[in-house]
Amino acid sequence: MSTFEIFIALVKGGIQVTIQVTFFSTILAVILGFISGLARMSRYKIIRFISGAYIEIFRGTSLLVQLFWIYFALPIIGIRFSPISTGILAIGLNYGAYCSEIVRSAIQSVPAGQTEACIALNMTKAQRMRRVILPQAFTMMLPNLGNQLIELLKSTSLVSMITLNDLTYQGNILNATTLETTKIYTMLLAIYFIIALPITQCTKFLERKFSEGRA
Amino acid sequence: MWDWNYAFSILPQILSALKITVAATFSGFLLALALGLILSVLSRINIRPVSLVVKGLVQFIRDTPLLVQLYFIFYVFPKFGLTLEPFTAGILGLGIHYATYLSEVFRSGIEAVHAGQWEAAKALNFSRIKTWTRIILPQAIPPVIPVIGNYLITMFKETPLLSAITLVEILQTAKIIGAGSFRYLEGFTIVGVIFFLLSYPSSLLINKLEIKMNNQN
Amino acid sequence: MTPIVSYKKITKVYDELEVLKGIDFDIYPAEKVALIGPSGSGKTTLARLLMTLEKPTSGTIEVEGEYLWHEEINGKLVKAGNKHLRKMRKDIGMVFQHFYLFPHMTVLKNVMEAPVTVLGMSKKEARNQAEEMIEKVGLEDKLDVYPSQLSGGQKQRVAIARALVMKPKIMLFDEPTSALDPELVGEVLDVIKEIADEGDMTMLLITHEMDFAKEIADRVAFFNEGVIAEQGSPEELFNNPKTARLQSFLSRLN
Repeated sequence: MSTFEIFIALVKGGIQVTIQVTFFSTILAVILGFISGLARMSRYKIIRFISGAYIEIFRGTSLLVQLFWIYFALPIIGIRFSPISTGILAIGLNYGAYCSEIVRSAIQSVPAGQTEACIALNMTKAQRMRRVILPQAFTMMLPNLGNQLIELLKSTSLVSMITLNDLTYQGNILNATTLETTKIYTMLLAIYFIIALPITQCTKFLERKFSEGRA
Repeated sequence: MWDWNYAFSILPQILSALKITVAATFSGFLLALALGLILSVLSRINIRPVSLVVKGLVQFIRDTPLLVQLYFIFYVFPKFGLTLEPFTAGILGLGIHYATYLSEVFRSGIEAVHAGQWEAAKALNFSRIKTWTRIILPQAIPPVIPVIGNYLITMFKETPLLSAITLVEILQTAKIIGAGSFRYLEGFTIVGVIFFLLSYPSSLLINKLEIKMNNQN
Repeated sequence: MTPIVSYKKITKVYDELEVLKGIDFDIYPAEKVALIGPSGSGKTTLARLLMTLEKPTSGTIEVEGEYLWHEEINGKLVKAGNKHLRKMRKDIGMVFQHFYLFPHMTVLKNVMEAPVTVLGMSKKEARNQAEEMIEKVGLEDKLDVYPSQLSGGQKQRVAIARALVMKPKIMLFDEPTSALDPELVGEVLDVIKEIADEGDMTMLLITHEMDFAKEIADRVAFFNEGVIAEQGSPEELFNNPKTARLQSFLSRLN
């Protein structure tokens, strides 16, 4: 097979699943990240505890372990997900825990004076968060969220280990059927790099812009 | 559903595989430290082709999946006459991958050293190597130790990926046990708990260290 | 006359440090009170307690005859809830030393924000009122500019407009010119003077500008180590200080 044919075979067979898993688990991770990041700062101890437990459990164990656990262990207690749902769920839950730390630290880095100004203007806690704190925190989060997105994209390769037909899985199949090992894995790395490239460039741009804004 | 007797019966086997996981973590970490330091110093060298190649390489390795890199090392290297044991291939993959992260950490540490320190070293007629080893690195590394510690924990949690290249570490052990008995719940749960029990207290310790170091400044 | 603000036996303790040691202090409607004294003497804390940014350790504060930090429920004084605090804040505004403008909003949006979200004013009405206030502080040509493009003096004038647009009865100025370059102090003091001259607003001004305090204040209170060491009319205090503390404080300034 020519290098080009290998490229076509990999992309045709695997890119759809890789993009799908990346896209949906990103959405899940961002939603979970915001919810648990805000919950971590709740004034109710029980809410802080629950979100803290979620964050620490998913950060403290390993993504592949979580993936296997949902895929192999959960069905034993009667909960069964399709491979693609398993992939999205595990990656979303795992990166949600990392996102929550980004959300929390960005919110905490908004200067205390902003909160004081809001109190002096008699805003409610919700108004303060929505109108003043979150908009400022959000621009600070973006570069870090961009970096997490690259990590997430890379981690989607793990779904190949629960038989999902993503780029990496496709590479392994091709490797088993042809003997073009060198071309296949080189091309596979190149494809991931190309997908990541716009995200890295975007993130670098945001990082620069952000550090200018602070100077 | 959950069988305590069964869980206890498989625990010793999983724990004995923990040796492999821990050995892979620390070997990979040492390799990553050494390579990372070399990369960060190389990227600061004022020879443009060198720093450009280093930067490009770092970005490529950072932005592609460790899993595919492991396959590359394990399956492609033999085509060029370099056949590696799963363990060696694994620590090589982990070490190279995380070297790119650690090089960024070292770089930030180096950049945080005041420019005057370079000038002072020059004024005292230090050689270039002595400037690095006696003046710059001793100031650059201590402040980034907590970040480096966090990467050690991250690498520990990445070791299950080595099962993909047939290394029998704890996750693979649990999987093999599960495949034999059709009981996955206990094995995978034990593995998760082991990871948590080792990484969570470590990260608390590192947080403490970080706070302590911040307070000293 | 009944006071509009009344501090009774107020103490405030941070960790071990007692910054206010049992303050009794009244402010009367439309009065302009200047608080002077060395830094760390407790004068800023007094204003922050009134703005509900900090809780008193003990004692009470009454604003227009109602408890600020407490509520009376069945004849018993209990800690005030959020609802009560929000009601009480309606009549109080504050200008901070470091402005605390919202960096992600233009000048106009900074001033419009609270009327719209807090008072529920229509955007059109809020815009009219905001523009009026911005004109009053002389920045009508900066409506669509972001705070980062303003000088310190201009930032502080926007912050004053932002507080004024809420029509507070009581305005607190916490060292409004201390963070400014000397050449920018005048423009801010001019604006504050203009507000003072309008007459009906109660003003509490914490300042290190003694000449300005002399010019606009009806009464000056000298803070020292958590107590009001001396108070009276500006003439009395500045021309004829009685306590040794105030004498040395004033002489060090000159």
